[in-house]
Amino acid sequence: MSETETTLPEDPQAYVAQVMAEIAEEVRLRRASGDLPPKLERELDELFLAHSPVAGRGGDLADALRRVDASTFIDPVVPVESERAAGAFVKKGMRSALLWYVGWVTHQMSQSASAVSRALHIVDDRLTELQRQVDAQRVPPAGVVELPGQYGAEAWWVEPAVAATAKVPGRVLHAACGDGWLVRRIEAAGADAYGVDPRAHLVETAALGALDLRAEGVTEHLRAVAPAGLGAVVLSGVTEGMAGGERGQLLDAIGTRLAPGGTLVVHSATREAWEAADAPPETDLAPGRPLRPEAWCRLLGELGYAAEAQRGPAGTDYLVVAVRAALSTAGTPAAR
Amino acid sequence: MSRAAAGSVAVHQFVPTLNPHDATGTHTLRLRDALRRAGWRSEIFAEAIHDDLAGEAFKHWMYPEHAARGDVAIYQFTTSSPLAAYLSEHRLPLIIAFHNFTGPEHFAGWEPLNVARASRAAEELALLAPQAELGLADSAFNEQELRRAGCRRTVVVPVLADYGRVLGPPDVRVAAELARARATGGADILFVGRVVPSKAQHELVKALWAYRRLYDPRARLHLVGGTSSHEYSKALLGFVRDLGLMGAVRMAGEVSDASLAAHYGAADVYLSLSAHEGFGVPLVEAMVAGVPVVTRAAGAVGDTVGQAGLVLEATDPSYVAAALHRVCTDSTLRAVLRVAGRLRAASLSGDAAAEQLVDAVAGVVGWP
Repeated sequence: MSETETTLPEDPQAYVAQVMAEIAEEVRLRRASGDLPPKLERELDELFLAHSPVAGRGGDLADALRRVDASTFIDPVVPVESERAAGAFVKKGMRSALLWYVGWVTHQMSQSASAVSRALHIVDDRLTELQRQVDAQRVPPAGVVELPGQYGAEAWWVEPAVAATAKVPGRVLHAACGDGWLVRRIEAAGADAYGVDPRAHLVETAALGALDLRAEGVTEHLRAVAPAGLGAVVLSGVTEGMAGGERGQLLDAIGTRLAPGGTLVVHSATREAWEAADAPPETDLAPGRPLRPEAWCRLLGELGYAAEAQRGPAGTDYLVVAVRAALSTAGTPAAR
Repeated sequence: MSRAAAGSVAVHQFVPTLNPHDATGTHTLRLRDALRRAGWRSEIFAEAIHDDLAGEAFKHWMYPEHAARGDVAIYQFTTSSPLAAYLSEHRLPLIIAFHNFTGPEHFAGWEPLNVARASRAAEELALLAPQAELGLADSAFNEQELRRAGCRRTVVVPVLADYGRVLGPPDVRVAAELARARATGGADILFVGRVVPSKAQHELVKALWAYRRLYDPRARLHLVGGTSSHEYSKALLGFVRDLGLMGAVRMAGEVSDASLAAHYGAADVYLSLSAHEGFGVPLVEAMVAGVPVVTRAAGAVGDTVGQAGLVLEATDPSYVAAALHRVCTDSTLRAVLRVAGRLRAASLSGDAAAEQLVDAVAGVVGWP
């Protein structure tokens, strides 16, 4: 790494700017070649978090309470070991002299901590009971349901969806992305795209390649995205089986994460196709039913989007393209 | 030290802890000397004084023995301290020299005691800032925090640091040990700072892991600095072990000036991915030592480095690794960063900074 006499460029700052651009390109190429998949970088984060005292251990209340219980007792009998010969003797003397005072203080602290611990256990018991009651009435989240023949690069709605996301003010998110077939297509058109899909087996196989695909649900993912952090969201196979509440939460999350001027693209099966005899059994098990395209346009219009629907040639599906106004009321419960 | 002469103006400094080897201690001692040269009486009062500096300062509770009408106090604000309440009660004309403190969010989940302490520091800043006649900030970032806390008049003046220590004679034993490691090949990446969550040493480890995987399998990371977060240090060690980097990550702990000089002398690149920096003295030390700087744009880092380093917007390991690779292999870039770094460091050090500080103080209290 030794340096010889080097001639400085005429404009050093321009050179540094050029280097920064080349570094960004180098990273893009490395990722495209699959040298360091995004999944691997995320695993590094998880590996470190596993060592952290709280952050990496998730939200397990029982585990946290066990640690509270374990640290409730404060021991007034301090250790007296010492590397010096007289040290242990001196420490022991100090401990004996102070034990009554220290013990009096630590006894109160231990009692206080025990009271807090007891209160936390009562809260835990009540939360557990509440959880049981909520579980009994829970509407299960809709999974991804893809009707046969509606997906893939040759589908009629892919071109208009890609065109709608070509010049948006930010990254494009596709859910449910599957193996990344549409993400690849949107990237080929020049946009910066990535995908999410709760079907981990599809994503993890595909993520070994160059695409940025993540194994998680779309609403859960959107909640972690910065406000106005996306240029477009494309939904396919996601909304058909959603109940009203779940759909409302999804639209709320999209409303705050989509940049002004951003685009929401919804591909959906029609209700007829959903209820057809050859539809997969997941359609029966889903908590909701597909909206009609008119309902989507009405709903998105109330949320501040300018929405248009296109029906597919076979009458089994449709596409809604909605552009978010710069000053939107999206996400407000009243508007929905 | 002499007792205060009644009637003469004094500009005294108050500091939570006066240590010989940290940035605040050096700044305080140098400012005291600059104030005296300008003609003011000036003493240092501290809550805690390192034994090596026992003759340089008084315990803060001894201030009444030295007090005189017209005294002005400069408070070196670095952390929570009873000095804040003490100064607020004494109602001396106050100048806050704000070096920033690590916010509670950076300790959350790691060190409950530090969370509480950082929260108290924020409350103390909110208490003192509106009372201050002037706020001295060592970066525009810190100046903004002072303003937000209610300080009406502020000025940015560089910290008075001893950057020359990195150019002193290196520790021969440490230099030889580092040279032996270099002889085996691979780049030497250096970071200097306490091992605490806000300095994000785990991000450095991630970057090293990616750099070794993609570019340089023999690269080493040197972490210099003691720890004030046992939990974070433990997690960091576990992380290093899990990644199989025990031989590649060298934790030097707290070191002498000579050992520090040896580390800067052996480094190919200085890498900082801290989540928070109030100023970043080691960044300037690296520039003084001619070590190219790669850093994350966080806190005051952008203000300190200016255009004299590669300032990254993200800490993705592959991105940082690509930046390290470029710095280690592009001799033109290294030369550009070294020249720019030395110019930047020169603008932050020397007598000019002391004069700026003295001028700023005189603007409030008048010349002696």
